[in-house]
Amino acid sequence: MIYILEDAINGVLMGSIYGLTALGLTLIFGVLKVINFAHGSLLMVGMYAAYWAIILTGVHPYVALVIVAPVMYLFGYYLQDIVIKPIFKAEKDVREPITVIIVTTGVWYILDNLTLLIFGPTYRNIQDNPLKGKMLEIGEVFISVPKLWGFVTAVITAAAVYWFLQKTRMGRAIRATSLDREAASLMGINQFKVYNVAFGIGTATAGIAAVTLVPFYNIFPSVGVLFDIKGFIIVVLGGLGSIGGAILGGIIIGLIESIAPQFMTATWTEAIVYGLFLVVLFVKPSGLFGVKYDW
Amino acid sequence: MKTNFKLKLIAIFVIIPFLAVLPQSSSVWAKGKVVKVGNIIPLSGPSASVGQQGKNAREMAVEEINAAGGIKSLGGAKLEMVYADSESKPEKGVSEAERFINTEKVNVLTGCWNSAVSYPTSAVAERYGIPFIVPVSVADKITEQGFKNVFRIAAKDSWWTRDQFAFLKDMEKEFNTKVEKLAFVYENGDWGKGFAGQWKVLAEKAGYKVVLDEPYPSTATDLSPVAQKIKRARPDVLMLVSNAADAILLTNTLAEYKVKLKAIIGSGGGHADPSFLKAAGKNGQYIFDIVEWETDVNKPGAKEANAKYNAKYGSNLTGEAVDAYLAMYVLKDALERAGSLDPAKIRQALATTNLTGGPGMIVGYDAVEFDKTGQNKHAALVMVQINDLGKGLERITVWPKNARRAGYTPTFPMPNK
Repeated sequence: MIYILEDAINGVLMGSIYGLTALGLTLIFGVLKVINFAHGSLLMVGMYAAYWAIILTGVHPYVALVIVAPVMYLFGYYLQDIVIKPIFKAEKDVREPITVIIVTTGVWYILDNLTLLIFGPTYRNIQDNPLKGKMLEIGEVFISVPKLWGFVTAVITAAAVYWFLQKTRMGRAIRATSLDREAASLMGINQFKVYNVAFGIGTATAGIAAVTLVPFYNIFPSVGVLFDIKGFIIVVLGGLGSIGGAILGGIIIGLIESIAPQFMTATWTEAIVYGLFLVVLFVKPSGLFGVKYDW
Repeated sequence: MKTNFKLKLIAIFVIIPFLAVLPQSSSVWAKGKVVKVGNIIPLSGPSASVGQQGKNAREMAVEEINAAGGIKSLGGAKLEMVYADSESKPEKGVSEAERFINTEKVNVLTGCWNSAVSYPTSAVAERYGIPFIVPVSVADKITEQGFKNVFRIAAKDSWWTRDQFAFLKDMEKEFNTKVEKLAFVYENGDWGKGFAGQWKVLAEKAGYKVVLDEPYPSTATDLSPVAQKIKRARPDVLMLVSNAADAILLTNTLAEYKVKLKAIIGSGGGHADPSFLKAAGKNGQYIFDIVEWETDVNKPGAKEANAKYNAKYGSNLTGEAVDAYLAMYVLKDALERAGSLDPAKIRQALATTNLTGGPGMIVGYDAVEFDKTGQNKHAALVMVQINDLGKGLERITVWPKNARRAGYTPTFPMPNK
């Protein structure tokens, strides 16, 4: 019984971090109606940014948020503004522009291979950080401290994004655009400005997720792919476009990954996760927490 | 007008590739004879690190061979290397092999490190009758298909597992420590499953009890559940087959959960990756690993080759790199004796290889000679321990006992950290 508790705690903590990595994906989809295949790569870029910020300044990993989140926001903002927007304009009559999806795939390949070229295929991690390898030991139950920090960060980030969308003027503009971009434009909302901001926020959350990962995870050029696939499952599970759904979807995946291996091999667990993905697609395509309209 | 423009576009796209190819091929002719070697290795994806080492080692050997006058029996023909990225994907290996043979017209193929890629690729080479040198890919079945064109330099995995168990028995005796329970944890690809299948047979024969048998996906983002399973199964010795990212992650996770073990035995791959020592750090201390080669191996030329490689590429040679390096010299030796670019002749020369010296022979064993299946029958392995002797973590040869680094006593069982 105590084993199940320990596994469940690990599952919730790790799952919330998965959810955080998928948050930007779901946000960008909700607003732009585009599956951002480069999202994992943006996470990877965030991890390298965090890595260098921490290595060069020697600060506590979470202090790097101050640098990484704004840098990633600007990166996402201008990536959308310079690379994706022109394609969007060419396809402005379509609700779900396919070419934009292809462009994000291109961005994914370019970012991954550029990183491979610049930093090489080496696996890096931050050896001397105050969170590395730290465990809370409560009786027989071990709880990973860096994952606990990640959990708290994920919840705060999701809440902050939710608050931003609900309460601020820009947030309302984002929601309006996501509901009906034509109508929003008619009301005087600059659609492409909204896209830039949404993409920026999505990328910033990938940066935040990256910071939560670097204290205990490896950093290498293709690391994004591992989280990308998980991200897609999570957002489908939680409902494309739903902020809370992303976190909850992540936690569900985390729980399965953590508890199921005690009854079967870790390989089977993966089959269950993908199986669940298919079942959700068949039974409730809008996801567990998705609504017919995206907000 | 519109269709006209489209037609022009199509015409341009059809013509450009031809224009691009023309000057290249003519310059090749101007330079004289070349032997074209097609190399299919993982240059991106999860095994990119090891693929890059294989590429570096090949380049170094080919530079040396070409600088020394190329293949003399072919009028000083130079080796020309072409590379393809397998991304560790079997289907990529097959399609790149087809492309190399049909479009690039290579004379010889080498690759592919990942057993799952080498296996289907060997069938392509066999179908076209192109010699296929496999420096390292350990799955037994690669040389057990009755193929005539596959030549493997490294030991196959049944030899690796055989030596891992022989090592364990010797350690038990030397340190008078009883080992009863084993845990097998391995990546769920061809390589890991191949090892685990043989471990099970060997464990039964040696009278060990297997308390955990766990394949896991190498792409796992969290290995805490696996570490927990190991902890709860309470094995004496943990035997692993891992790629680089998961080897680092699992080593760190095991330390975090304070899993107590008498020994951890790796199977090369991720544990032998140069980034492992740096990224696992202190958590990697005392791990045993089986390899074909170590920088402290006592062979003429080994130290020099390693120093040269390190100066060029910034890391030490690994077993994989040495095999790739040796493979080029095996190829050179065969080409010298074949005196022809006819694949059948090259194949014949490879089959009669008996290489005992030369710059390539910096491996732990004394000769390269292929048996009927194309397996190098002299290939042998050593065990190393990761330890810190005051100069940072390093890999120290410990087994067989006569190859052990002078003055070193292995740490067994592992002290509790």
